[in-house]
Amino acid sequence: MDINAYIQSGVIESYVLGLSNAEETAEVETLRKQYPDVDKAIDEFSLSIEEAAMQNAIAPPAEIKQKIMAALEKERQVPHVVSVLNEDKKEVPVVQLASTYNWKMIAAASVILFIASSFLNYYLYHQYNSNKEAYQALLSERETLQVNNQMYQTQLKEWQLAAMMMADTGMATVKMHSLKGKDDAATIFWNKQSKDVYVMVNKLPEPRTGKQYQLWAMVDGKPVDAGLLDPSCVSVCKMKNIPKAEAFAITLEKEGGNRAPNLKAIYVMGSI
Amino acid sequence: MLLLKQRHEHAFSYLYDHYSGSLYSVIVSIVPDRELANDLLQEVFIKIWRQIESYDNAKGRLFTWMLNVARNASIDAVRSKNFQQSKNNRELTENVYDEGGSIQTNTDKIGLRKIVHRLKDDYKVLVELSYFEGYTQDEISKMLNIPLGTVKTRLRTALIQLKQVIKS
Repeated sequence: MDINAYIQSGVIESYVLGLSNAEETAEVETLRKQYPDVDKAIDEFSLSIEEAAMQNAIAPPAEIKQKIMAALEKERQVPHVVSVLNEDKKEVPVVQLASTYNWKMIAAASVILFIASSFLNYYLYHQYNSNKEAYQALLSERETLQVNNQMYQTQLKEWQLAAMMMADTGMATVKMHSLKGKDDAATIFWNKQSKDVYVMVNKLPEPRTGKQYQLWAMVDGKPVDAGLLDPSCVSVCKMKNIPKAEAFAITLEKEGGNRAPNLKAIYVMGSI
Repeated sequence: MLLLKQRHEHAFSYLYDHYSGSLYSVIVSIVPDRELANDLLQEVFIKIWRQIESYDNAKGRLFTWMLNVARNASIDAVRSKNFQQSKNNRELTENVYDEGGSIQTNTDKIGLRKIVHRLKDDYKVLVELSYFEGYTQDEISKMLNIPLGTVKTRLRTALIQLKQVIKS
């Protein structure tokens, strides 16, 4: 360490004037023991401050001294621990008893307070945890409700669309029924102008995994692919545009559909 | 010193005669109200009396220690008085200008503060705020909008200049 640079850094002056922080103060106090120059610099600056203060001294009003000396006289009469020890040994045990009694009281009180505060802490912590859990549960419940709500809104919109289609006089409807006498059923909505085809599933069994329903239009006695039924579509689903058809049918095909229908797996069919 | 530590009355009387003027000049350079300054001088000497045992020769000169006691007490008093005043101002706005009646000192021209006024403005303001008004370097940095590091180095330079001004 360059001790001269340290001495000239201004840290000594700020230490003497009481402007250094705790860290700097500790540093200066350590270094002054190691380096006589640091010690000397502290003394020199202290002395020059003292001299400057002396030169600029202002005499206080004379009565202040009397007041101070009178106040100190009173202080002296208040039994200090020090003076009691020095002057009268008989009083010592009395004072000590009183003070140990006080200490015991204080210690007991602080132990009680500590235990009480531990219980309180434990209770509050417990309370906090259970509230936190309840809050988390509420949060996840709210999330579920929100998701459900959104789902219902979408479904409602779809059904509103379906209702509009059913009411639409420009829409031809074709009821498709099971050929095997089951109550499976689906309805085709066929826009007479645009020839767009929509299908609404009234009742069909859940397809097995790897299978998907496919809509076919019979055009001149030949099946034409009219699109796959999207499993996520719950009401009226838009299918392919079919300009001309005599009948519609739904078959169960492999997922992704087939080019030609599996005629053994016709679920519902209806002719125009 | 030993006599002082034993709270010897004559030793203390001597201490007062010798140092009250210089400590008083420090107090009045911080506290403009003379009545308050007078009370503070009493308080400071009573503190010195009570705490004389905690003074350690090895840590510095007696005057330096007493000076710090006086400075800290003065700054505390100004701060609590300012607080009190701002409270009163809120309650009794119209009485603000009538307040007091005791002599107000122009602190700038007094004692050590006079010496500080010989410094350059940039340096003066730092010594004023830190030494005479008791703001921390952090507070000064925020008040003047200067980085903390700059406050620290500039204050140290200011103190070195102060040392030279005192010597000359």
